[in-house]
Amino acid sequence: MFGAICRVQWKGSAAAVALLAAAAFIVPLLAVQQAGFTAGDFRTWDLVVMLSAVESAGALFPILAIILGLTLSVGAWSADHQADHVYALTLPIPRWHYVLLRFGAGLVLILPVMLAVGLGCAVAVGSIDVPEGLRAYGSSITLRFGLAALVSYAATFALAAGTKRTAATVFGIVLALIAIAMLLDSLGVSANLLDVVANAMFRRPGPFEVLAGPWMLIGV
Amino acid sequence: MSYAIETHDLQYHAGKTFELGPLGLRVPTGSIYGFLGPNGSGKTTTIRLSLGLLRPDRGSVRVVGHDVPRQTHQMFARVGYVPERPHLYPTLSVAEALAFHGAFHPRWDATAARELLDTFGLARDTRVGHLSKGETGKLLMLLAIAQRPDLLVLDEPTDGLDPVVRRDVLMALIDYVSETGATVFISSHLVHELERICDWIGVMDRGRLVAEVPMHSFKNGIKRLRVRNAPAQTGDPPFVLLARERGDGASGTELWVVRGWQPTMRQYFEGIGAVLQDVIDLDLEEGFVELLRTARVPQGS
Repeated sequence: MFGAICRVQWKGSAAAVALLAAAAFIVPLLAVQQAGFTAGDFRTWDLVVMLSAVESAGALFPILAIILGLTLSVGAWSADHQADHVYALTLPIPRWHYVLLRFGAGLVLILPVMLAVGLGCAVAVGSIDVPEGLRAYGSSITLRFGLAALVSYAATFALAAGTKRTAATVFGIVLALIAIAMLLDSLGVSANLLDVVANAMFRRPGPFEVLAGPWMLIGV
Repeated sequence: MSYAIETHDLQYHAGKTFELGPLGLRVPTGSIYGFLGPNGSGKTTTIRLSLGLLRPDRGSVRVVGHDVPRQTHQMFARVGYVPERPHLYPTLSVAEALAFHGAFHPRWDATAARELLDTFGLARDTRVGHLSKGETGKLLMLLAIAQRPDLLVLDEPTDGLDPVVRRDVLMALIDYVSETGATVFISSHLVHELERICDWIGVMDRGRLVAEVPMHSFKNGIKRLRVRNAPAQTGDPPFVLLARERGDGASGTELWVVRGWQPTMRQYFEGIGAVLQDVIDLDLEEGFVELLRTARVPQGS
């Protein structure tokens, strides 16, 4: 059953996964190249500037993770949504079991992109001499990317699995928060509502904390 | 008698305009049950309620011995379903769709699937989304049959198909039933098609089940009578008078459509001073139309 679901999901998302894997392989190479590590002349380094360049390129990792999660979750449900879930609901397995199979198949498809990140990191780090006092964090970045993709996938999967009403409710809440924040701002009330929400989501122990903060392939 | 589908007091409403039930549907095990009704009468809704795809407002459903919706997934291991609209994943090839379906169904018969694939002339590599309407109909029937179900629920399976494809699909169905004795619940508005294969019929109209009888008693019970010199007041006839119309040409001749006719009832006409000239058999389609006409006459008129 799981193999069958994986094949269906792969068929629907293969092109996007291949594209994202290629991008994931390139990002680490881009990070070291942008920072100037490939020049080989370390005496003139301005470490602050170089690490800042690594950090800038590293910002692409969470963006890729979010796109990957979104692509896989939309791919997981689009065929079922098109047919009003009739086929899935007439399979002789409990509904929770089907949802788990779909979720698991998406997790499997995260792996090739995560592998591409790992390979990209290995190639990028292997192509330079890491200066004394700095370290390469290829394995950490790879694991973190996997975790970030998982978080992104889980959140969007839950949203995509729901009805249109569920999606509308979530978006409605987000829009209402923005509207309230704008209203408070125009009234001169410094409630910083959006900051509070963003901090709750992206700062420890928020659910999306793994996506926030610097993604340093090379760091101290 | 045991029942493959049994609903009790089933009720459902969709919006403010459509109400279904209360519905007491009973599909005898081993029968080929034709579910008739005009478009919008509630056939598909009844099927979806019976299979747990919609949740009823009240009432209960049992399908092949399983409570719906509580035991829906156990039920679907024994029920093959062909929905009104195709529901398969369009990116899969025919062969992949078969493999996918077979992976979930415990009684999947790969040999039967291969044979039906050849019988229907379906190409394995064609994508499901690229199949014609007829080919999709064949594939849906193939999947339902190859899972070796005890009950086949077919919602307008031949609607929109050309006669050749329709014959192929119905032949495959009849072959399977004669081989296994499975129950078939088939909805259609193509009355003549069901007439040839069904042994029970249920007729839906405006969300109500207006008849549920063996096919032979339905076909034999509804007649058109040519009556001469009938008085305006008919008294209390021994049959149900469904319709009474002026005849074509001959003066004083009327056409009566009746239900529950028996040859011994001829003497009723002598009693009211009329002459029964002819008793005409109605085919299922005519009987169906007359039944709907009667069902729609407001109470007391």
